[in-house]
Amino acid sequence: MTLSDASLDPRDQRLERQGRILAWGAAACALIGLAALLLGLFLPLPALAGMLLFRSGGAPDSGLVAVAALCLFNGVGLVAARVGVAARELWSPFLLALIAAGNLILLIALGFTAGLVALVFAAWAGAGLWGERASFRRNPVALRELRGRMRGGRAFLVITVYIGLMSAFTLLLYAIYSTTAGYGSAAAGETGRVLFIGIAGIELLLIIFIAPASTAGAISIEREHLTYDLLRATLLSAPAFVVGKLEGALVFLFVLLLAALPLQSLAFLFGGVGETEVVIVFVLLAVTALALGATGIYFSAAHDRSLTATVRAYGLVAVLMFAVPLLGSLALEIVNQLLINPGAVTNQPALETVLVYAGLLLTSLSPVTAALNSQQVLVERQSALFWNGTLASSGGTIPMLSPWIVYTIIYLALAALLIMAAIRRTRQNREPA
Amino acid sequence: MTDLIIQTQDLVKRFGKFTAVNGISLAVPRGAIYGFVGPNGAGKTTTMRILTTLTRQTSGEAWVNGLSTLQDAREVRRAIGYMPDEFGVYDDMRVWEYLDFFAACYDIPEGERRKLIEDLLELVDLAHRRDDMVDKLSKGLKQRLSLARTLCHDPAVLILDEPASGLDPRARVEIRELLVELAKMGKTIFFSTHILADVSEICTHIGILEAGEVIAQGSMEEMRAKLQPHREITVTLKDQDAVEAIKSTVSNIPHVVGVTELEPKGGRARVRIDFTGDDEGVSQLNQALYGAGIAILGFSEETRDLEAMFMRVTKGIVT
Repeated sequence: MTLSDASLDPRDQRLERQGRILAWGAAACALIGLAALLLGLFLPLPALAGMLLFRSGGAPDSGLVAVAALCLFNGVGLVAARVGVAARELWSPFLLALIAAGNLILLIALGFTAGLVALVFAAWAGAGLWGERASFRRNPVALRELRGRMRGGRAFLVITVYIGLMSAFTLLLYAIYSTTAGYGSAAAGETGRVLFIGIAGIELLLIIFIAPASTAGAISIEREHLTYDLLRATLLSAPAFVVGKLEGALVFLFVLLLAALPLQSLAFLFGGVGETEVVIVFVLLAVTALALGATGIYFSAAHDRSLTATVRAYGLVAVLMFAVPLLGSLALEIVNQLLINPGAVTNQPALETVLVYAGLLLTSLSPVTAALNSQQVLVERQSALFWNGTLASSGGTIPMLSPWIVYTIIYLALAALLIMAAIRRTRQNREPA
Repeated sequence: MTDLIIQTQDLVKRFGKFTAVNGISLAVPRGAIYGFVGPNGAGKTTTMRILTTLTRQTSGEAWVNGLSTLQDAREVRRAIGYMPDEFGVYDDMRVWEYLDFFAACYDIPEGERRKLIEDLLELVDLAHRRDDMVDKLSKGLKQRLSLARTLCHDPAVLILDEPASGLDPRARVEIRELLVELAKMGKTIFFSTHILADVSEICTHIGILEAGEVIAQGSMEEMRAKLQPHREITVTLKDQDAVEAIKSTVSNIPHVVGVTELEPKGGRARVRIDFTGDDEGVSQLNQALYGAGIAILGFSEETRDLEAMFMRVTKGIVT
């Protein structure tokens, strides 16, 4: 399992076997999740919901949606663990332990019986990996990338300038907004909210522009600098190479995100923003960084030249971050028009259900709409996770997920697919022209 | 039977319609310093890339250390240290980090790497540049560092593509000495080169490649014997009459296989005698000519250098 498709040695064969167990686990979780989602949305079965999540306390259909979301998270988690195991990443056994422990807690606390699937597969693979624990190590590629990035005063300077600019922007925003806002706690809360949204918006832009650029050249530059063959001649595996490159690029980006957290927390001084919102925004930014970084890595593995890889990566990012939300908002507008027009959905609860879920999906495609709608749900429904929506046509309720959860699942799955595709492309033993 | 560390059989590599390697069968004995010589485009690099598992052959078989480059690619990679013709630059690394990174890529445990790096830097005489940035090193030092990199995982064979290319004379001599040192440590060295002086200086074996085919290979002694099967003795004579005299005299002397009249030089006639005898025979030949009363001005044995051998066997075909 070296960079090209060389044969596996016995240790890698054992790791590959455990990886396959995790892949099967991921597939099982995804299947259960999708089945629960379809059943929960369109054919609520109280008995099934009770069986899969017997202490949810909510409506049966809402329980099934919760089961679906948790199962899909489990699936994505097991895929990440599978890639981590193949790359012999130090974090992968911890991720497996986290998946097992999390599902155990959910099983005990909520009766999340569907989590048993992830628990069993994680424990099964984990037990098989116990004998291989010495194989897990610090990724040499990530270590080399980070050494290069953090060397000398360059990293310090970049972080300082970044925080300086963010602080200046925050001050400017405060200066502009405080002159127009009134007095009192409501106005302060509004100021806090504006500052928070402003900083998060700048960070999102930063991620959109930096994440693909920092990874799109990561693999192709090895070819351009004639170091790719040196690596291919070693025992370095394709997963270790791709994951190492991604880690090397994203760790610095996460350092920037973390460095800006104190600035975001300024909003707490003014009020109007809670810890839940800060956590949700951080998760959305982190997932976006991972997905866009994975986009860059995929194109870098697929193209020999960094320029081509960068242009194509930005092309896909533009589609994901701008074109899809734009088309989505147009479609959403049509959906909303249909929903507020009483004639369109009268006596058609099934159609209304489909339209409501289409609206949820469309708002969950962009980090901006997902964040704003999640915050709206948080304020109006007092829920960061699930709630029950009411149908205008029948007065009945349907289970709803907060958009940030849907966004996270979609983009984590996209990141996982792109990383696996990048590994596949890297393994291909490409001949010189 | 010779213990071969590299062996190929009818190796063929085609890129579309172009045949880069055309039925190469190599035999490199364990412990040899094997010079792989040939004009540009002869297929040396492609053959090396097949041996290092970086390129798949179109047909034929290749084994390194008894392992197939197709079926046991990973184990082949453990057995070889590869140095391509271009030094891959990581311009943001220190010398020790460069070696540490590649040692990690070869799965050398972290605890063993520090001592390994010190030893390797000592071996290639770069210990004093341990903390320097790689891109600040001269080309000669980079080649030495590259050589240290190939040794990280203690491979049995080093496959080096033009290791002395573009180096100044001193750096070339240093690399050459290093290769001899490594051979003494038991490593087999298989390297391609254009510099025939390097081959004749250090190689125990040679393979000559042209237009994707091996046109000659073997130990240096075998090759010299094969390419120069008899001694060539040039006799310089006072005048043209002596030429005829010498022709009739040597025709009766044992081990003389031919006499060729050469172009006169400086107004003096010259004759080349092809002789298969030993040193004693050469001495007797000399005495016989003097004994026959031939006016000889000069009597010398020509030794063909490797360059002449190379020119004789190759046809100058460039693909």
